[in-house]
Amino acid sequence: MPADAARPTPASPPPVTAAASGVIHDLGYRRYDGRRLGRAQIARALCWHSLRSAFGIGRGVKAKIIPVIAFGIMCLPAIVNAVAVATSASHASIVHYDTYTSAVRVLVMTIFIAAQAPELVSRDLRSHVLPLYFSRPIRRIDYPLAKLAAFILACLIMIEIPELLLYLGTVLQAHGLSAIWAQTRGVVPGLLVGLMWAVVLAAIGLALASLSGRRAYATGTIAIFFFLTWTLARLLSHIAARVGGAGRPVPANTSGPPHGHIFVFVRPGPVPAGVHLAGLISPFTALDGVREWLGGTTPGIIADPGGYGPAYGLMVLVFLGVAVGGLIARYRKVGIA
Amino acid sequence: MTHRASARAAVLPGAPAPGAVIDTRALTKRYPGQVIALDELTVSVAPGVTGLVGANGAGKSTLIKILLGLLVPTNGSASVLGHDCERDGEQIRSLTGYMPEHDCLQPDVTATEFVTHLGRMSGLPPTAAKERAAESLRHVGLYEERYRQIGTYSTGMKQRVKLAQALVGDPRLLLLDEPTIGLDPAGRAAMLELISRIGASFGISIVVASHLLGELEQICDHIVAIDAGKLLRADTVTSFTQASQVLVIEVEEGTGQLLDELARRGLGPKAQDRAVLVRLDGEGTYDAVRDAVADLGLPLNRMERRRHRIEELFQDAAAEPSEMTGAADAR
Repeated sequence: MPADAARPTPASPPPVTAAASGVIHDLGYRRYDGRRLGRAQIARALCWHSLRSAFGIGRGVKAKIIPVIAFGIMCLPAIVNAVAVATSASHASIVHYDTYTSAVRVLVMTIFIAAQAPELVSRDLRSHVLPLYFSRPIRRIDYPLAKLAAFILACLIMIEIPELLLYLGTVLQAHGLSAIWAQTRGVVPGLLVGLMWAVVLAAIGLALASLSGRRAYATGTIAIFFFLTWTLARLLSHIAARVGGAGRPVPANTSGPPHGHIFVFVRPGPVPAGVHLAGLISPFTALDGVREWLGGTTPGIIADPGGYGPAYGLMVLVFLGVAVGGLIARYRKVGIA
Repeated sequence: MTHRASARAAVLPGAPAPGAVIDTRALTKRYPGQVIALDELTVSVAPGVTGLVGANGAGKSTLIKILLGLLVPTNGSASVLGHDCERDGEQIRSLTGYMPEHDCLQPDVTATEFVTHLGRMSGLPPTAAKERAAESLRHVGLYEERYRQIGTYSTGMKQRVKLAQALVGDPRLLLLDEPTIGLDPAGRAAMLELISRIGASFGISIVVASHLLGELEQICDHIVAIDAGKLLRADTVTSFTQASQVLVIEVEEGTGQLLDELARRGLGPKAQDRAVLVRLDGEGTYDAVRDAVADLGLPLNRMERRRHRIEELFQDAAAEPSEMTGAADAR
């Protein structure tokens, strides 16, 4: 290349006369003899890169629109609560730590995952860039695991930062140490529930997104899966309640504070098993069932799991296992040449 | 383009040169369904630029995957830069840059971002990745364009980005799979020159897989030809070229006479359409043909040197020459 000859690199050895060495040294190519990162550090770099792209950082403005709006909406309940605490005479919170606001969380997380999980995996599938990853000093399994870790972190940011805002908004207005302590004791289970949501939802989202290299298909698959199972779970719960005659579902605002859920069951008689089991169908309701099983007191998205708590725990593990297993299996299959 | 082949030792199967870049021993890969991709392939590749030539499905891609430690061979062994491919895949991949045949670029990022990220994935710390990405892109001839999104690039520029990402980790070996695919003649020439320059001046050994022997002859020191997973021939380019050159002679009339005369002189001629082909064995062949034509007093229309095409090369090796019985015999 003529251009190279015109730009000698400072680090290259000074041009030696051809007569002296027989070789012309002004080649411009510099060897790299600095530090090289190992497999774990490369995987961490990939994770960080993916976490940034989950929020559109390092991409254009357009890529940031959905994550930013989703995050903004997710923070609204915390802000509303802070205002409510400040203005109400009793200083009582209207948003609970363990559920945050279920409807907002379900809606926003569905949108966030459907929009951003394909950003992490479908793009790479679409552009056939994976051979370039697999021909580098990492192992095949490192790629899906780094992506999963990144997306779990992204979902944690989406869920836990609003949760912490909720805590801060309340604590800053609390009077006395005991009030602060009560709030702190309340927020810890809430954070753990958030962690559970982030891990399970991120895994499902990525596994579904990795099925297609086309973003639109991947987004559609995720959105349909989450909305369909969620609607189905609620519908079945409703039907089971009616068939079993376990009392009529009534609008939520007739009993206690609004929790963002649609139905609260008034149970005059024994509740049929179907009502308790309907929530197993959807990841959201399954997660909520586990929350109630483990002692969450705030009324949930649909009926409580009753005596079927362990089934909910198992179901969440199944969701997680199938998703992570599917994701890893997916990348074992990808060709490299 | 100069051939540096003569200065180097020939690569021969079964006799690995000390410090061989690639060494395979009875390497066999059988896919489910009895498809044999590699069949007892034993070959040793010396430092320098080596062409890996074979038709589609000859086993080039399988070989590359095994060499990168991404595919476990059914039988036999392979090593790259002294590392065992099955055991030390990561080590090999940190020393090797791979340029895939197919498109593998993300259209919505700039070349700088893309190559920097892949530099990180090669194990470079952040600052080093940035510096080396800029340098690699400069080496492949991308300057201001590197700040543009790859989606706006021409095919030639995209091929250069693919090469730059292979170069970014400062490899000791480059595996280039069909680097000139999709390029126009000028683009091909530029890419070949670039590869040749990297091989000659950067001190990086290169294996170029291609189905175009003519291209490989221009830039390689050695050629390894495989067909149906078997080694066909591994040799220096010079002997390859000699073995694969024929002289095409056309006379206005008396083709039959000429055939007889050339046969009498022991040149082993072969008729093809209206032309006569003889194996080119150096300057002497020209003289012999000239004398034969002159002695017969035939009007000579055309006499030119021609290279075997890759298919002919394979036919030679299979001892079923379609046009050059002599050439095959001579080997």
